[in-house]
Amino acid sequence: MTIGWILLSLMIALCALGVVLARSPISSAISLLIGFVGVAILYLALKAEFVAAVQILVYAGGILVLYLFGIMLTDNEALRLTRQTHLQAWPVFVLILVLFLAVGHKLYHSDYTPQQPDSLLMVTDQSQVQALQDRLAQEAAAARHATNPQRVARVLYGDYLYPFEAASVLLLVAVLGAVFLAKKEV
Amino acid sequence: MSTAAFVILGFLLFCLGLFGVLARRNFIVVLLSIELIFAGAGINFIAFSSLWKNLTGQVFTIFLIGVAAGEAAIGLGLLIALYRLKHTANVDEARELKG
Repeated sequence: MTIGWILLSLMIALCALGVVLARSPISSAISLLIGFVGVAILYLALKAEFVAAVQILVYAGGILVLYLFGIMLTDNEALRLTRQTHLQAWPVFVLILVLFLAVGHKLYHSDYTPQQPDSLLMVTDQSQVQALQDRLAQEAAAARHATNPQRVARVLYGDYLYPFEAASVLLLVAVLGAVFLAKKEV
Repeated sequence: MSTAAFVILGFLLFCLGLFGVLARRNFIVVLLSIELIFAGAGINFIAFSSLWKNLTGQVFTIFLIGVAAGEAAIGLGLLIALYRLKHTANVDEARELKG
């Protein structure tokens, strides 16, 4: 089990390294595709089945194909023969290495144990605590038989209905903006 | 695997994406690096969702994927506009604002 986690993390990290270091943008895109499959497997292993499916469908099926179209439309010989990095690549590398080591050290020594939900701490009246615990127990019992997409849908279309609608507006604006930017006379 | 390992993996993806954005010349690779940063954030969301047994993290990952799709559309629109203006995807060529 642990070996599997290590191999998966190594695969994701190597694919990410490949995205940044590969000379040709096609290699970067294919490396990103494999990395996203790895991330989807990670989601599956963490029992987020619906998000894993969305990750494969949207990233591997949609976004990566868009990027491949972009590479196809803008490929030219001059860019392939020139240096692939800016002059500031080495200073940037050193700065990011320092950032990674400093913050990574902090993250490694942090405490991640979950605390009590705020809703239980806020109420002081004992009957309210009892009612809240009953409600939570009922929800847990109802959720025990539901599949992961059913449970995600209950949160997505219940608590987060308005953000969901706002996301659809965001996508509409993004499509209009992309069409406006890419049309002939701007 | 402990939550710390997931958080560090997500942070590693963020750092690699940041390096790609700051150091690479090809605009498409810059966009792909931004996708790496999104993936790092997604791993964090899912790891804490699994730790706290709370589905909100998974819902936010779905929002994150939606935002990434919008970003890809806008980024490719910019790429096409840059290519029409300069006939290259090299971001060093776009230096009109440099003064």
